[in-house]
Amino acid sequence: MNLILFIFIVLLGFTSYYFGRKKAYTIQSTNKRLTALPQFYGYYLAIWCAIPAFIIFSLWAIFEPTIVKLLILSDYSNQGYLDDELNLIYEKTKALSRGQFTGEITPFIEASAEKYLSLRSIAQSSKAVIVLSIIIASVAYAYKKISSNSRTREPVEKFLKVVLFTASLAAILTTVGIVFSLIFQTIDFFKVIPLFDFVFGTHWYPAKAFVRDSSEALDPTMYSDTFGAVPIFAGTFFIAFIAMCVAIPIGLMSGIYLAEYASVKVRQYAKPLIEILAGIPTVVYGFFAALTVGPFLKEIGNSMGLDVSAESALAAGGVMGIMIIPFISSLSDDVITSVPQSLRDGSYAMGATKSETIKKVIFPAALPGIVGSILLGVSRAIGETMIVVMASGLAANLTLNPLESTSTITAQIVVILIGDQAFGDPKTQAAFALGMSLFLVTLCLNIVALRVVKKYREKYE
Amino acid sequence: MKKNGVKMIKINSKNVDVFYGKKQALFNINLDIEENQVTALIGPSGCGKSTFLRCLNRMNDVIDICRVKGQIIINDFDINDKSCDVVRLREKIGMVFQKPNPFPKTIYENISYGPTIHGMAQSKNEMDEIVETSLKKAALWEEVKDRLHEPGTGLSGGQQQRLCIARAISVKPEVILMDEPCSALDPIATAQIEELIDELKKDHTIIIVTHSMAQAARVSQNTGFFHLGELIEHGSTDKIFKNPENKKTQDYITGRFG
Repeated sequence: MNLILFIFIVLLGFTSYYFGRKKAYTIQSTNKRLTALPQFYGYYLAIWCAIPAFIIFSLWAIFEPTIVKLLILSDYSNQGYLDDELNLIYEKTKALSRGQFTGEITPFIEASAEKYLSLRSIAQSSKAVIVLSIIIASVAYAYKKISSNSRTREPVEKFLKVVLFTASLAAILTTVGIVFSLIFQTIDFFKVIPLFDFVFGTHWYPAKAFVRDSSEALDPTMYSDTFGAVPIFAGTFFIAFIAMCVAIPIGLMSGIYLAEYASVKVRQYAKPLIEILAGIPTVVYGFFAALTVGPFLKEIGNSMGLDVSAESALAAGGVMGIMIIPFISSLSDDVITSVPQSLRDGSYAMGATKSETIKKVIFPAALPGIVGSILLGVSRAIGETMIVVMASGLAANLTLNPLESTSTITAQIVVILIGDQAFGDPKTQAAFALGMSLFLVTLCLNIVALRVVKKYREKYE
Repeated sequence: MKKNGVKMIKINSKNVDVFYGKKQALFNINLDIEENQVTALIGPSGCGKSTFLRCLNRMNDVIDICRVKGQIIINDFDINDKSCDVVRLREKIGMVFQKPNPFPKTIYENISYGPTIHGMAQSKNEMDEIVETSLKKAALWEEVKDRLHEPGTGLSGGQQQRLCIARAISVKPEVILMDEPCSALDPIATAQIEELIDELKKDHTIIIVTHSMAQAARVSQNTGFFHLGELIEHGSTDKIFKNPENKKTQDYITGRFG
């Protein structure tokens, strides 16, 4: 029903565009100069169609459920139900009307469900009638209003600006919303677990929190030594460090090769091939690390008499590094290619060789972009989840031995939130606290990256 | 400069052909460049004068599709020969480009770049001296001596171009190639550069590509006129401008085409 209505409104929009343009042509044919191109007259009418439709749809979406609920529950008023019970009745009614109700069907609820359905259909049809009549009225009004000297271009341009603004606002508001949801849960978490214990504690053992029976009262003392985040922060940075040790040299060198040494033909094929790496889903990297690289390293280690865990930080970090190579190589290739040829010429003309030119002229000139690409790689490494969940183990060991298993922030969030969770439980809230710290770390990284880039840009442009 | 009344030839090019892919850009160029003189290469856009200039220090090597045939003899040595060391060649033959292209480094580092590459200074003092003399020769020292460690890109266009000239002369080249060095500059900066060119010819042989006939007449002793990839006429600037042999040269110089 809604879909048909929507299609109908879209068609109406096209029709009003057509009529607006046609009227413009008619005015033009009487040798009058228009204030805007005929299309703008069309767009203008289409906007007169779209805005009322949008407003009515939004109002309906906001008020219809509330009104229907009030009408349904009015049958139950004065019967001494509590608010919670009334809500339950309403939910049962809705479920039954969708045919999804499992349980005992009372005649009361059956009657309510029928009433609900009829109210809904009344609402739908009245919506259709109201929307269409208002649209037609507004378009007709606008159609009558437009003349040779009416301003149509400005409203159309303004409308576009508003649409674009709304789109960017939506993105920003979503970010703000996510941050706020993180903040409140994090604050709740730190009401139970002292911030000091979280930041400086060296024991991360959230499984301990499972032991609590939810009917028991919350006793903060039982969580001491449970949520100490040092091991997982250390693990996160350690694995990211291993990953960058792989990704930075290989990525940078392949970027330099592609930009400076590779012939056009080699570049044409090599660049997409390297970028294929970026297209591999991280879960595939994950089982590559867990099932191929991990056991392989273990075998090699054992043959050398080393004790290597099958889920080692080295395997996870190494594979993560491979995943990040294309980001760094592709971005630094772009940055190096965009260094002006005149700088290369200047250096060659001084008798510099290719490697001297790259080392002394091109690399410094491209440095801001290269630093940017590296920091982008670092924030990917820190935020990467699937590889570490699969390949680096879930026990939070505090270790700097790459052959042992460690865990990361992201992996712990997964561990905590898999399965049933109770809201308001410190264990669940710990995930929010971790998410918040992750967010802060990447935020700081981005700020540092921007600073670095800006500083060098001032110096080099 | 004449020795015993005989002009000293610095560069001797014989039958030079240049191809970009399948397209031939230069046809059988035979041009001698006199030592310690300014030679101007003039001609309409796309006539091959810059291409010829870039042959002289093998800058065309940078372009993949470019092939050069023929002989270019400098100091009795054919630079197109396989045994030619391009690094040494470019140390001997400096180049200044159309657009000032200082490196994104400090003024000091811009000048010390070449001497460092060629290992010309043993100590910091020696390097300081090279930087100072180069900047003085390029008539830039007074303007930048207090800010040697600021970025070279912060200078004005004319200063940047003089910085590039200082960079080129820092390695004491025998020849300096200039590819329209004043085309991005205002008249005052142009006048400064022209004055500088006159100064530099005492120690260096200079070849300048220019679009401005007035400039060619002002700065050069010899002129070569290129048209459609051919060297139409060359000789002393006086003769080319006052008394050209070829009709095309005359038309170009009097502004009938180009």
